[in-house]
Amino acid sequence: MPPLLFTLLNNEISLRLGRLSLASKILDTPNCILNTVRGSVLHLTPDNLRLLPFQAVGITLEQFLDVQPPASTKFPGGAHEFFNFQEYLLYVDIHDPAKQIKARVNSDKFISVRTHQGIRQLTLADYLSYMNAYKPDFFAAFSDSLIQKNHGDKRVQKSIDRTLKWLDDTLDRVEEDTNVFGVLGGHGIREERVRSAHETAKRKVAGFLLNVSEIGDTSEERLDLLRTSLSHLPQEKPRLVYGLGTPGDILRAVSEGADLFDTSYPSEMANNGHAFTFKFATDSNASDMTLSMNLWDKSFARDFQPFVPSCECHACQNYTRAYTHHLLIAHEMLANVLLISHNLFVYGRFFERIRNSIKMKTFDEDMRQFLHRYEGQAQIEHSMERDTEPKTKELIIN
Amino acid sequence: MKSALLWETVANCSTTKARVSKLILPHGTVDTPVFMPVATQASLKGITCQQLMNLGCQIMLNNTYHLGLRPGQALLNEVGGAHKLQSWERNLLTDSGGFQMVSLLTLAEITEQGVQFQSPHDHNSSILLTPEHSIDLQNSIGADIIMQLDDVVSSLTTGPRVEEAMWRSIRWLDRCIKAHKRPHDQNLFAIIQGGLDVELRNTCLKEMIKRDTPGYAIGGLSGGEEKDIFWRIVTQCTDVLPKDKPRYCMGVGYAEDLVVCCALGVDMYDCVYPTRTARFGNALTAQGILNLKKSRFASDFNPIESDCDCLTCKSYTRAYVHLLATRETVGCHLITLHNVAYQLRLMQQIRTAITEDKYPQFVKQFFKTLFKTKDKYPVWAVNALKSVNIDLMIDDD
Repeated sequence: MPPLLFTLLNNEISLRLGRLSLASKILDTPNCILNTVRGSVLHLTPDNLRLLPFQAVGITLEQFLDVQPPASTKFPGGAHEFFNFQEYLLYVDIHDPAKQIKARVNSDKFISVRTHQGIRQLTLADYLSYMNAYKPDFFAAFSDSLIQKNHGDKRVQKSIDRTLKWLDDTLDRVEEDTNVFGVLGGHGIREERVRSAHETAKRKVAGFLLNVSEIGDTSEERLDLLRTSLSHLPQEKPRLVYGLGTPGDILRAVSEGADLFDTSYPSEMANNGHAFTFKFATDSNASDMTLSMNLWDKSFARDFQPFVPSCECHACQNYTRAYTHHLLIAHEMLANVLLISHNLFVYGRFFERIRNSIKMKTFDEDMRQFLHRYEGQAQIEHSMERDTEPKTKELIIN
Repeated sequence: MKSALLWETVANCSTTKARVSKLILPHGTVDTPVFMPVATQASLKGITCQQLMNLGCQIMLNNTYHLGLRPGQALLNEVGGAHKLQSWERNLLTDSGGFQMVSLLTLAEITEQGVQFQSPHDHNSSILLTPEHSIDLQNSIGADIIMQLDDVVSSLTTGPRVEEAMWRSIRWLDRCIKAHKRPHDQNLFAIIQGGLDVELRNTCLKEMIKRDTPGYAIGGLSGGEEKDIFWRIVTQCTDVLPKDKPRYCMGVGYAEDLVVCCALGVDMYDCVYPTRTARFGNALTAQGILNLKKSRFASDFNPIESDCDCLTCKSYTRAYVHLLATRETVGCHLITLHNVAYQLRLMQQIRTAITEDKYPQFVKQFFKTLFKTKDKYPVWAVNALKSVNIDLMIDDD
């Protein structure tokens, strides 16, 4: 595969503006990678998908591992063509960013993966052979990821050792210019997070993956642990983060130096009948303080406006709240299509506005206003702490 | 009675009773023979209106019974009808609601007044659907074609009940015509009843043609009757119905039924089959049905149908659709898109063949592709086509 290039477009340590490129494909960061389920973006046929502002798609391998090797690896044209994502940057991970299995048994020989027919085992050799067939633009390294809240120190250390060994094996075996994202670990143990970040950064990886979805009880704790890892990573490589999705968390993670996210949050909200109403860095004096509206609510039965009147998404341009409410009540699948079309569109635009805000050097003020509007005073105070002292020192003290 | 449609026949088959026409309705022209997909609750199973327009769909169905329950008549009045509700700029047809009541509700009782049935939400109360209610509701929905409330009896019913239903359907047609408030922009179609009895059908035809409605449906069929009787009733009706009005065969949607009924002179069809079967993973093709759930498709890297130009076939292999079929909504959407494209393309091919006056050749090729060998041809289809001068058993040179 051609090399994945990452260029930082500004010189700020934490407020990063970057550009990921591979051949003619470009992904400006901060940004998100579209999640898929069995190789499709939830509820969206390819024509509806292409109405949305996205350039990168992530495939979850475990969803195809009911039978190994998966049939899709036998397709001669690679994963881009098989899944009809030719024009997208294609990323592969083993696990689903949205659904981590609770009891995962891994060993030196294999890791456990969740398929539609139950738990299966995957070896490094098989994983690499599937990646060789898929030829994605970049993929997550084989890793001994921990997904329970509490693990002993020894288990955490072992997971990092294993993950690093597998990373070395991987980089030995793959062709040059294979774009592998190193998976960072360390769980809730700061020293181990630092070690994992340092050691992974020494290897020839194209970027880093940090999953904070199962650590910390609050998003503040998750952000704190994220910060611990991020501050030990080199500037010139992209950082993909799972486990943070609300607009407030995205803003905070961006200000900590995260570049890429997944789309679990907008998808989950759509599946719950919610349409995003939040706005970031706009002139509008929106008095609405809610992030989303619940279309199941009876109050929308006779509301003949679009979700967001100024929104340019396909759903808002053509359909009303009352119609979506009707579709939800009638259990019609089109409700999900409209809600996810809107939420993903808004989410994609949200990242566009974040980049623009960083470019215009108004990000801190835009973020402060956003958090004030949507999260209230308490949250703002917390988020403002970040600028008070350089983060790089913080960990060593801990 | 007053009509809000224009009917222009473009071509007549010189062998069969098939014809190609332009049915000009308030929301645009419909090329017939036409298959109308069914968007029961003002939505076609996950497909957007834009996708349907891209497929070339000119008219679709909504079900009156469902829309009457949800979102309800008051809201339909407020929004200005079903076109606006679902943002559909092309034509709509609604049924009377009576069929759903009889088929969905076990405790329906039919009296001269109307159809009495138990409320689906409150089992202690009952609702009476009269011809006046049905039309009133259909006036609120605002479809371009609306149907009379008829007294539906199963096509397997025999005896005096069939005759009673036929006469009652005529009386109810009169009440519908009287109750219809929008004849200037909604076309009320009569529904020919009379069961499988030739005499009763003739009487009903005579009486309903007298009422001079803008179009006619052939009702009381597709209820499990012998196909060999079904086609005879259809052809009896098309023989008598006025040539300058559209004829609609309700609930017909299997490919071979469409091809045969077009030869018998039917212009319009609807059926939930193509969209319903998609949800079970079944894709329609000229060579028959593929159940994409089957493991033999797991590594099949061909499109569903190689000469199909639908989005699904242009974008994906059978192996990909197999991964999603019946598991993810996208799998259902992809097969639904294909199946609707298949139905609409079949109708386009039928219209082209009739226009070029090559319908008999088309019909023969169609049966050969679908059934492969003559011993598999359905006997009723062979008989029906023979009645309009196509002998499937004789190959053309």
